[in-house]
Amino acid sequence: MTIMKLIIGYLYGDLMNIYGDTGNIIALKKRAEWRGIGVKVKNISAGDKLKKGDVDIFFFGGGQDQIQELVAKDMGESGKGKVIKKEIARGVPLLAICGGYQLLGDFYNLHKGPKLPGIGLFPAYTLASRDRMIGNIVIESMFGRLAGFENHSGKTYLRKGLPLGMVIKGFGNNGKDQTEGCIYKNAIGCYMHGSLLPKNPKLADWLLKKALEVKYGKKVDLKPLNDTLELQARRQVFKKLKCG
Amino acid sequence: MRTLAAILLGRAVSYLTKLFRFGGGSAAPGLFALKIDPGLVAKLSQRIPKNIIITGTNGKTTTARMLAHFTKANGLKVIRNHTGSNLERGIASTLISHYTLNPRPYTLDLGIWELDEAAFNAVAPKLNPDIIVFLNVFRDQLDRYGEIDTVVKHWCQTLKNIPTKTQVLINGDDANILKLASCFKGKVQKFGVKDYKILGESIGHLKEKGDLDFEAKNVKLNGLNGSSFSLSFNRQSSVIRLPVPGIYHIYDALAALACATHLNLPVCRLSNALKTFSPAFGRVEKLPFGYIFLIKNPAGAIQVFETLAPNIKPEDRLLLALNDNIADGTDVSWIWDGEFEKCRVQSAKCRVFVSGSRAYDLAVRLKYAEFNPKQIIVEPDLEKAFKQARVGLKGRLFILPTYTAMLELQSILTKSGLKKQYWEEEN
Repeated sequence: MTIMKLIIGYLYGDLMNIYGDTGNIIALKKRAEWRGIGVKVKNISAGDKLKKGDVDIFFFGGGQDQIQELVAKDMGESGKGKVIKKEIARGVPLLAICGGYQLLGDFYNLHKGPKLPGIGLFPAYTLASRDRMIGNIVIESMFGRLAGFENHSGKTYLRKGLPLGMVIKGFGNNGKDQTEGCIYKNAIGCYMHGSLLPKNPKLADWLLKKALEVKYGKKVDLKPLNDTLELQARRQVFKKLKCG
Repeated sequence: MRTLAAILLGRAVSYLTKLFRFGGGSAAPGLFALKIDPGLVAKLSQRIPKNIIITGTNGKTTTARMLAHFTKANGLKVIRNHTGSNLERGIASTLISHYTLNPRPYTLDLGIWELDEAAFNAVAPKLNPDIIVFLNVFRDQLDRYGEIDTVVKHWCQTLKNIPTKTQVLINGDDANILKLASCFKGKVQKFGVKDYKILGESIGHLKEKGDLDFEAKNVKLNGLNGSSFSLSFNRQSSVIRLPVPGIYHIYDALAALACATHLNLPVCRLSNALKTFSPAFGRVEKLPFGYIFLIKNPAGAIQVFETLAPNIKPEDRLLLALNDNIADGTDVSWIWDGEFEKCRVQSAKCRVFVSGSRAYDLAVRLKYAEFNPKQIIVEPDLEKAFKQARVGLKGRLFILPTYTAMLELQSILTKSGLKKQYWEEEN
């Protein structure tokens, strides 16, 4: 049996890393390593080139507005946006939170600033608003009930396609239509910090499984792990919000 | 007349909260008084000869406490908002409690005011400060303060309207704070540590060399006992022995020393006064059986870990407490930016107790920092966790609480007769 290896591509990890989203990288890395799968994390930053097959999972976190401008520009100019879209089309998994999610849609209309072009991966667009949507959030999804923390003023609207889940407590994409996030092929975008993956191990494992299956071209079953603490942490949020 | 009514109401509220033990009466009196006279802080503070403001993410309380210690040791009469109540209401409460009905209501020399990142913008102009200190700016409670760029932008706007007679003191090693130098038309001086790059989170955090007005050279760290350095300013150099550990406290000390020299206090007397300095509650507070280190944001936590890790022995224990109340920040994501991995190797054989309203989030964080899950004991109830952690304790207990967990801990310690109530502490 060959030892499996994964490369996690941290999109603009040096620039887009606020709100503790690095916890998602830590969760993916540890959950792979605990199963004997080797992991390398590769930062892909402004000016870097990206080719097909360079990475096996993408992660894209949130950033400050000014930096989002820079990143939006770079995704177009460096051609990374197009490569990411092609990679997602062939099944490579991706998780994008908040700012990253916004930049993967059609566009993000900033308040006073310019209209930031997205790469059009998710069939969604984002408009700046004066509301700050802050707090714990719980959604119902195909991965079960997920818990996180949202903090955004941009409101995202899905033109079509599937949301990641429906809001039980919190605001979600825009505070109106009860949807949260978007899922397209094996790519997920959403507003859930927390960090999201450590408390929602099933989702973390789904990303790992998809990455391995695409890379090695066969069905993969991950060895189960003891998730008692992780699930207790999530239950603590459910209890706090009085939902289950 | 209105001001007087506001003061009287504030006093009454203060009396009642203390009588019924609702707390130290540090915020409520000011809150009520400001409702009657919103101009209270400006009116009362101008009766004090000098006012100094201290703001920044980390170190406000320690800096203010150290400066108060220096000035009192030199015979000055000082007031400050000392219970960590760093919003306008906390300042109003302090001003009210010291007000006398004489023609000269305050027999004071100096007001030392710590203001949090957001309160600074509204309150600083009202205090008409002689000195403003900017300590640092880190990611902290994004749910309350917003992003770093936003914080700095607002500070910059506020500074543009501060009279130029004010002396501004900034941390010269913090790239975000350095941006403030160009926002102020008056005099700006920088303090910092030679050859040390402060933990930062912004890009391009490179230090410009050779232009610090107050500089710490030859820094020597001495475990949990403290550190020493030579303070260089005005082409003089003096050895300072600091009785609190960690590089981050050197910055607090530099800020306090810089303020004190602007008050014309001689440095030799300041270094002498430091011998009797003790930190504020929870900030490296020494207990008979261990220490309390407040942790409230990633940068602060990393600094605590760096100080603590080399000093942990196998027989020691850790008690970490994470709450998600408003004063802690309701978003606990920040623990994933705090490098708990730093504490892992040293505490490989220690028992680690985890507590607070988000105890399990913290336990997960430790698990993913490769702490052995068998070492981790989760007990969300802080009082129970504290008791468990002391049973059979052979070494020291290091307690790392977030802000409200620390307050809770203070009352647990008081209840068990281990220390005085915090508002009765000498300040």
